[in-house]
Amino acid sequence: MITVVGAGPAGLAAALSAANAGESVELIESGARLGGQYWRNLPNSIVVDQQALNHDFQSGKVLREKVQAHPNITVLLNTQVWRASHKEGISTLHTISGGTTREIRTNKLILATGAYDRTLPFPGWDIPGVMTPGGVQALLKGNNVKAGKKIVIAGTGPFLLPVATGLAKYGVDVVGLFEANRLRRWIWQLPALLSNISVIKEGASYLHALRKFKVRVQRGYAVVEAHSGSDGNLSAVTVARVKSDFSVIEGSQRKVACDVAAIGWGFTADLSLAGNLGLMQQVSLLDGGTYVVVDEHQGTSQVGIFAAGEITGIGGSKLSLAEGEIAGSAAAGSETNTSKKRKLAKFASALLRTYPVGPNWQSWLKPETTICRCEEVTLEIIEKSVLDLGATDSRTVKLFTRCGMGMCQGRICGRSVNDVVARISGKPASDADRVSSAARPIASPILLGELAQIPIVD
Amino acid sequence: MIFFFENNEIHAIAGQTVGSALLENNVRVLRRTRFEGAPRGMFCGIGVCFDCVVTINGVANQRACLVEVEEGMRVEGFQR
Repeated sequence: MITVVGAGPAGLAAALSAANAGESVELIESGARLGGQYWRNLPNSIVVDQQALNHDFQSGKVLREKVQAHPNITVLLNTQVWRASHKEGISTLHTISGGTTREIRTNKLILATGAYDRTLPFPGWDIPGVMTPGGVQALLKGNNVKAGKKIVIAGTGPFLLPVATGLAKYGVDVVGLFEANRLRRWIWQLPALLSNISVIKEGASYLHALRKFKVRVQRGYAVVEAHSGSDGNLSAVTVARVKSDFSVIEGSQRKVACDVAAIGWGFTADLSLAGNLGLMQQVSLLDGGTYVVVDEHQGTSQVGIFAAGEITGIGGSKLSLAEGEIAGSAAAGSETNTSKKRKLAKFASALLRTYPVGPNWQSWLKPETTICRCEEVTLEIIEKSVLDLGATDSRTVKLFTRCGMGMCQGRICGRSVNDVVARISGKPASDADRVSSAARPIASPILLGELAQIPIVD
Repeated sequence: MIFFFENNEIHAIAGQTVGSALLENNVRVLRRTRFEGAPRGMFCGIGVCFDCVVTINGVANQRACLVEVEEGMRVEGFQR
């Protein structure tokens, strides 16, 4: 029996390849349907033109149907793994589904828990109406709801293009599309670009569609402040021209009226379960994110545990599919073919090098800017804990200020706090510090009553 | 279907999340923070940030962006 956690592209591909190799597979998904964030699969009551919102919709549908129909695969939906552990080759997954807890033991586990939008704190980012591109996309793709009437899309990375295109196709006024990095950065990545013509075509098709709606990508611009109106909701953002290190070019600031600003800076891997299982992680030199270390066959540092998709490095759906397929075959003890993965990984690296986050985003912050949204910890409180109380690492700052201790457990601010503390203390964040800020004993909230159901075993 | 937010009737389509249905009805502020009383709404939209937590049928701290609407559901946002 092979257990797969996460039914996005990587998890679906892993389940299918393991099942095709003759293994029986249990696929665990926290959501109500298969597909993950990338392929949002809708109930019949919601009608969305999915093909218009995701050019790759059809392949997702085919994969999902294969998984659903496969006699070797059991799908557990609405099932959240809230805690995992690993001992002597056996992984234990503690799941909760509809208020019922269960323990699943497995000696072959494939982790494919995916990623979420990376956000950066800036003045006003806690005003209702400031969102992530992934969130705005989920509202549209999953609920047929437009997040706003006049939307600004900003941040960095190729993901901004499909989000802007989808909104424009659905009649939303995309009042600005601001990409912080400049096009000329691609010059350094030309070989990777030219060896992936299909991706260039995809990018060009978005740009073409956006032109039809009179939306132009303004490169070298960032949203550096958000403003609220008298009702407390977002009314405008300040956009500025930024240098490649993300410092603001003075005099370039201007206000853009909007009711929603969707701002994303790439992605952050969801490492909660990876941390529980004690999988070795490292900080990527490409984007500064923390990821699970895997070998050529997606094997992790723990016996019998494989990882695939975004938790092993941000690379998009195609790379996730390739990695999932390898992980499924490897877990089943079959031959794997890694050539496709290597090619896609090269391109993923080129993307990350082209759309970096410049360190001077921190110059946008004001003393009163919220850094930790959950615990309402501002920059000046963090500064105080470093300068007055002598904290020199994020963990100590967390203990002094509670930043990262709220309900999201540092998922949103963890990475930024590492960077902020490093700047204030003048001491770079160590890999251990960064890995520990993604460590969470519990992967999702559980009620005490549910916890009490679990029998106590020595 | 119909559910209630702060005792106001909200119309939604089955399968929509509570947060998306509220946004569709122009409800952006879902709660106020416990220290500053600052308004908060949907942020990450996919269950990561916990900014959109509301009380649903008496159970606190439910993520509005994840929970799907049910007929007659009672949703409370603001702390009293």
